[in-house]
Amino acid sequence: MTGTFLRLKLRVLRNGFRGKPARIVMFCASIFLGLWFGGFGCIALVTAFYPDYPELAALIPPLGGALLMLGWIFGPLVWFGVDETLNPSRFALLPLPRATLVRGLLAAALLGVPAFATAFAASGLVIGAAIWHGPVTALVTLAGVVLGVLTCVTVSRSVTSAFSNLLGSRRVRDLAAIGLALLAALLGPLQLFGISAAQHADYRQLEGFAGVIGWTPLGAPWTIGVEASRGQWGFALLKIVIAVAFLLLLFRWWMATIETAMIGTVSEGGTRRTGSPSAPVARLFGRLAWFPANRDGAMAVREARYWWRDTRRRASLLTFSVIGIFLPIVMNLGRTGFSFPDGETIGTGPLPQTLTLIGVGVLGGLGVANQFGFDGSAYAVHLITGVPGKVEMRSRVLGYSVYIVPMLLIISVAVTALAGEYAELPMRLGMLLGSYGVGLGVCLLVSVFGAYSLPETSNPFAVNTGAGMTKSLFALGALVSAVALTAPLAIGAVLVPGLWVWLSLPLGLAYGAAAIWLGVIIGGDAIDRRGPELLAAIMPRD
Amino acid sequence: MDLDVPAGSFFGLLGPNGAGKTTTLSMSVGLLRPDHGTAVVLGHDVWSDPVQAKRLLGVMPDGVRVFDRLDGAELLAYTGMLRGMERAVVDQRAKELLDVLALADAGRTLVIDYSAGMKKKMALACALLHGPRVLVMDEPFEAVDPVSGSLIRDILQRYVLGGGTVIFSSHVMEVVERLCSHVAIMAEGRIRTVGTLAEITGGRELEDVFVEIVGGRTATGEELSWL
Repeated sequence: MTGTFLRLKLRVLRNGFRGKPARIVMFCASIFLGLWFGGFGCIALVTAFYPDYPELAALIPPLGGALLMLGWIFGPLVWFGVDETLNPSRFALLPLPRATLVRGLLAAALLGVPAFATAFAASGLVIGAAIWHGPVTALVTLAGVVLGVLTCVTVSRSVTSAFSNLLGSRRVRDLAAIGLALLAALLGPLQLFGISAAQHADYRQLEGFAGVIGWTPLGAPWTIGVEASRGQWGFALLKIVIAVAFLLLLFRWWMATIETAMIGTVSEGGTRRTGSPSAPVARLFGRLAWFPANRDGAMAVREARYWWRDTRRRASLLTFSVIGIFLPIVMNLGRTGFSFPDGETIGTGPLPQTLTLIGVGVLGGLGVANQFGFDGSAYAVHLITGVPGKVEMRSRVLGYSVYIVPMLLIISVAVTALAGEYAELPMRLGMLLGSYGVGLGVCLLVSVFGAYSLPETSNPFAVNTGAGMTKSLFALGALVSAVALTAPLAIGAVLVPGLWVWLSLPLGLAYGAAAIWLGVIIGGDAIDRRGPELLAAIMPRD
Repeated sequence: MDLDVPAGSFFGLLGPNGAGKTTTLSMSVGLLRPDHGTAVVLGHDVWSDPVQAKRLLGVMPDGVRVFDRLDGAELLAYTGMLRGMERAVVDQRAKELLDVLALADAGRTLVIDYSAGMKKKMALACALLHGPRVLVMDEPFEAVDPVSGSLIRDILQRYVLGGGTVIFSSHVMEVVERLCSHVAIMAEGRIRTVGTLAEITGGRELEDVFVEIVGGRTATGEELSWL
């Protein structure tokens, strides 16, 4: 049965490539990247067992392994999306026992570049153990690595499945926001610790931390071999038990969430809302009635409504809000509240701070990078009506900024309040808004030239086969070029820090506005010329 | 292919699955760029003069979603504003359309949660809202219950009587036979025959003519004996 799932996945993958050379290129690029990172990780993990440096064995497997697993948990949520080639809800009508279904889905999920790269990297542990500690240790290590890879894949699947359930149901969406915030909040302390550890290279402290991580489910599977190599067979056995127990728990959770996902797609009551029979136009504008009651205003309002009502867009908004608030705060905590015994503090200096602000601002613009893909075939309505490209672009900028600009204001005020330097508020505002403008300008262009279709499922993190790579490459390209384009702002902040406190706001606003204007002009012109091609690119065909 | 739809006609575009009906209609309203050739709406070329042409067109595509995360009234208001109509006119027409199409009961239900037939009616309302001169519809009677179907038929007939032109694709022969003044039958991307309904049927059943032109059934009754 599992074999059937594997064959199905391969077949779907192959058919997806047919007549789509760009997809094949993307796939090859992802294989290359997978080999690159896998090989790098493999070498790093082989050296972890080098007997002359026993401290490496104490550090690299637990910390590297835990990082890897965190990547598997958060990567799909905030960055890659999930390959839903085999969407669980498509099996809803087949008489399959749930255990069979989950086994098959797991096997299919293992059959992918990320899982292979992970396995490749982790195989370094086995090789290292075999070279320096003999075949028995290598076998135990192998067991640990297999458990680890299985856990990585299962954890990413179950987390995204659970999240899509949460976000798919309109009633508990607020809960989902809180959950995501909490998860990211967990990242905060970890990140701080990572920074402090990296800066101080205090191996005693780090070793203690790594030891603790090694006993958590995140690190346990990777350190089984380490315990075995030290002759601590009891510990190794205990860690195997921990890893297996965690994996079984994950399976149960995944099964439960799949069940919900399969039923959830059929119906969702409770949306029949009754309201006062107000005039249609007034109802459309609602609380956003301060937009002008004409075509441009209506388009901006519709866009704003969609950023909240479409689960995929909402997921991207929420993710940004969490990252956008936590990243600068974490970087700033290092300045005021997190100092070390020797008096040194981390994250100080204008450059890291400025870069954080720029990073957050640019990330804010990233949300529109596939804005047409979110619309899918509904974009045909605009094409039929003959909406001018510039109007299209401008309304989308406005509708999205309704959420992001207040968020950026909150972020800059919060960060300033934490740092306690209220005089720097205009500087932060200018940096955030300016880099947001640049990010938006770049992403507007990406949204026209790099549009791709999204599958029509209830899972807001789902992408088509191979599209995870496309998405990542486009996002990465947009991020890098936008950050490069904000260089004048960063240079200004470093060269004339005193003056910049006052110059930043006007200059940042002007710079950002110019970037958006360019994006609207160029992107709008492109839409006018290649509207039907854009529609064809975002039609969810497969 | 070359297809001329006379102004004021009720034109049915017939063809088996995969004949190219949707492709043809998409190219004629500006959704799909043709490799070569033109589409002209009342003297305005869809591809070189899109603004004028699209103003005259009302389109109801098939398999294409509307902005369905709005409720019915919001969607109509949005469509009206998108067409650049006056606010008061939008309000009045939207309410009227919702009442006539029995969609007012849905209240604030989002269009995405509508049933298939309600979605069709909603799409029709969106296409009619700005009072187009030409109505292009892809499979307007698919997934529509008989009551809604007859309602849509009445509306369309009244629209043609008022001087509008309707072209729609279908493979439901009875509907075409009852409604259309003109018919074209296409298969494998080509127009096989075109003319007024009377010319094409010549007194026979439209279904017989259709099967004869497109190529008939091959099942002899021997297959599927296990059923």
